Amino acid sequence: MRNLLNFLLKYNNLIVFLILEGIAFYWLTNGNAYHNSRMVITVQGMTRGMEARITNAKNYLSLRVVNSELAEENSYLLNRLEQLSTEQDPGFIYVKDSIAGQQYNYTPARVINISVNKQKNFITINKGSLQGIKPDMALTEGQNAVGLVVGCSRNFSVAISLLNLDFRLSSRLKSSGYFGSLTWDGRNPRYAVLNEIPQHISVAQGDTVETTAFSAVFPEGIGIGRVSEIKKSGSDFYKIGVELFTDFSQVQYVNVIGNLLREEQLELELQYQ
Amino acid sequence: MINSILKYGLISVLLILFQVLALNNIQFSGYVNPYVYIIIILILPSLTPSWLILVIAFSTGLIIDLFAGSPGMHASATLLAGFSRPYVLRLIAPHDGYDPGSSLSMVSYGFRWFVIYATAIVVIHHSALFFIEVFRFTDFFRTIFRILLSSFFTLGFVLLIEYYRKGR
Repeated sequence: MRNLLNFLLKYNNLIVFLILEGIAFYWLTNGNAYHNSRMVITVQGMTRGMEARITNAKNYLSLRVVNSELAEENSYLLNRLEQLSTEQDPGFIYVKDSIAGQQYNYTPARVINISVNKQKNFITINKGSLQGIKPDMALTEGQNAVGLVVGCSRNFSVAISLLNLDFRLSSRLKSSGYFGSLTWDGRNPRYAVLNEIPQHISVAQGDTVETTAFSAVFPEGIGIGRVSEIKKSGSDFYKIGVELFTDFSQVQYVNVIGNLLREEQLELELQYQ
Repeated sequence: MINSILKYGLISVLLILFQVLALNNIQFSGYVNPYVYIIIILILPSLTPSWLILVIAFSTGLIIDLFAGSPGMHASATLLAGFSRPYVLRLIAPHDGYDPGSSLSMVSYGFRWFVIYATAIVVIHHSALFFIEVFRFTDFFRTIFRILLSSFFTLGFVLLIEYYRKGR
């Protein structure tokens, strides 16, 4: 108590000054519209800065939720697009049957395990047969091909990655439409090899390589990569190096694409083989 | 004692009237606003307790504010001047110290000392006042220019009034 009194006595000058100055400033900011607005602007500027930081941090923490929501929505929109675009079949009668018109069905999924450094790489995703995933469905990331579902449990699926020596993907050059077979040579996870393109075709570096619908797995025109290297091997075919669009070490969210008409197509083809 | 308080009070009233009736109505190119009432703080006796200086300074500013319609500006600026007065006095103390009884005037301590003292307090007061008036640091040098010009004129008035007091 005595210390407190001593303190007050020692600094009474400063204390009286601060109190009176506080009163003066209170009066200043309340009595003058200009000073008041300046004060409000300054204080708001400070709190806004803090709020912006807090919001940034919160947003960062909820990115995972937002991502999955966006993936959901993306798939929904792709479904809608598929329904709408196949309606415009140039037939005789225009029947608007959204279920019958849809050929591909999109499901978003999250990658929970993926490898790029083996010779036979696989991808595990967090959806399985309960969510309608079946073998022979295609995996894409955005508009780029990633792999092919080979096995499903109830809640998980395993897909064979493009980066697998056993995987062959029917693909074509976007510029000329000639198709070949894409494989991975097991060396660099950024590059694959496109074979069976005959040598009389003109191929340029940077040409886009995309999927065909021949295998009834991938929709037509899903991007695979870009021609980076053109080699003439001893045979009649090119050996074309393709720089893949997909960076497999960073794949997080994928779309699983099911072809609703696949069985019908295969059944029909089987009759004549 | 009573006599000097009365005299001081009379001077204060006259100065405030001079300020609000005459000087506040001078608008000389927008840069020159002399605030002579600061003499009230300048000439308080050196033994005045600092809390009393603060109270007097605050009340003076308050009255000027009420007349000038500028709530808080003069009060806070004059208060700052009153707060800094003891420190300024300590800084420029003459060799034989202050005479506790006499008021701080040109008569007691000489012209040179008084000019230094008055300049310090006036510049502190005007800086606070003009910066509080614009309340931002854009146009910084314009504000500085206004402070210097007005301080110059205020000092002129202060010295004139001091000469008048000295003559009597």
